[in-house]
Amino acid sequence: MQISRIASPLKLLTIALKVGRVTKKYPFGPPLLTESFRGAISIDPAKCWGCGACTLVCPPNALTMRLEGEKIVLEYFKGRCIFCGMCADTCPANAIIVTKEFELAATSVEDLKEDVIHKMSKCAICGKPFVATAEIRDVMKMQPITEEYANICPECRKKRAVKAFGMRFGAST
Amino acid sequence: MKLEERLRGVRRSPWVYHLNSGSCNACDIEILDALTPFFDAERFGVKLVASPRHADVVLFTGPVTREALPKVVKTLKAVPRPRIVVAIGSCAVGGGIWWNTYSTIGGFEKFQGVLKQQGVEIDKVVYVPGCPARPEAIIYGLLLALGYVKQKVSKVVKVVES
Ligand code: SF4
Ligand code: SF4
Ligand code: SF4
Repeated sequence: MQISRIASPLKLLTIALKVGRVTKKYPFGPPLLTESFRGAISIDPAKCWGCGACTLVCPPNALTMRLEGEKIVLEYFKGRCIFCGMCADTCPANAIIVTKEFELAATSVEDLKEDVIHKMSKCAICGKPFVATAEIRDVMKMQPITEEYANICPECRKKRAVKAFGMRFGAST
Repeated sequence: MKLEERLRGVRRSPWVYHLNSGSCNACDIEILDALTPFFDAERFGVKLVASPRHADVVLFTGPVTREALPKVVKTLKAVPRPRIVVAIGSCAVGGGIWWNTYSTIGGFEKFQGVLKQQGVEIDKVVYVPGCPARPEAIIYGLLLALGYVKQKVSKVVKVVES
C-alpha cells in the first residue's frame, strides 16, 4: 500500500517523459493540418463561367448569384461556408479549388465576402442581356454546333422554333 | 477610456465564458479542444470561467435559437464592459446551415440588432468562420480580439475579363 502510493506519481512521471511535449506551438509554430482538411474555397475568375451550378448545391447558400444591371455577381460569403467542398465537385469548369486556409477571423462580416463580377451577353434578336459572356465563350469551345443559337436568348429561340414549325404547316408568317 | 487602452488590461489574462446559443455542439467541442493541453490556450492566460460576471471575453457559438434568445440577452447583459465577443462557427457568423430556418435569428450579426433594442452594447466582435471552427482558428480569433495578431482576410472583388 505504502509502496504503491510512492510509486504512482513516479509511474505518471515516466509516462509523461516517454510521451514528451505534445502542445502545438501555434500561432508561433505550424498548425496541425491533416491531409484531408478542407478550408475556404477559392474561385478562379479566369475559369468561372458564371453558370450558377455551385449556388444550387451549396447547402448553406454561402454562394449566391445576383443581377446588378447588366452584370452577374457571384458572391461567396466565407462566414456562412461550411467547407464541404460540394461546389468544387459540381463546378463544370473546375474553377473552384478547396484551399487549406483557416485563419479567416475578421472583425466585420463584410471582410468575409468575395465577389466575382461577370459581364453579360446581349441577345442578338431582342437585345436583352441573358447570360454571362464567359459561359458562351466556353460552351462554344466545347460544342461548336451550338454556335448558331449561342447568341440568342431562350425566349427568342422559342419564338423562332414556333415560327419555323408553323411555316412547315402552311402558316403565312 | 478608449477601447484599445481597456483591451490592454484584458490582454494579460483573458477569462473566457463559453456561451452556447443553440449550436449543434461541434463548435463547443472544438472550444474545449482549444483549452486542452494539446492546443493549450492557457499559454495566453485564457481561463474558462463559470459565470458571465467574471468574463472578459465571451466565446459565442450557435445561430441564436428563439428559445435561447431571452437567456442569451440576459447573459450578455451580465458581462462587464468592455464586452468582447468571439462569434465561433458559421452558425454564429452568418446563420450557417440554419440561415433561413424559422426558429433561429440567423447569427450574431442579426442578433446585434436585438441587442441594440435591449440597450446591450458590444464593444468588439470577432467572427471566426468554420463548421466547426478549428481549435487553431479559435485561438487565432481570440488573439485577434485581444490584438496579438493582424487580420488576414479582407473583402475581395474579382472581375472576369471576357
Ligand atoms: S463555373 Fe463553377 S464557380 Fe463559376 S458559377 Fe459555374 S459552378 Fe460556380
Ligand atoms: S464549400 Fe460547401 S458551403 Fe462552402 S461554398 Fe462550397 S458548397 Fe457552399
Ligand atoms: S457552425 Fe457547424 S459545427 Fe458549429 S454549431 Fe453550427 S452547425 Fe455546429
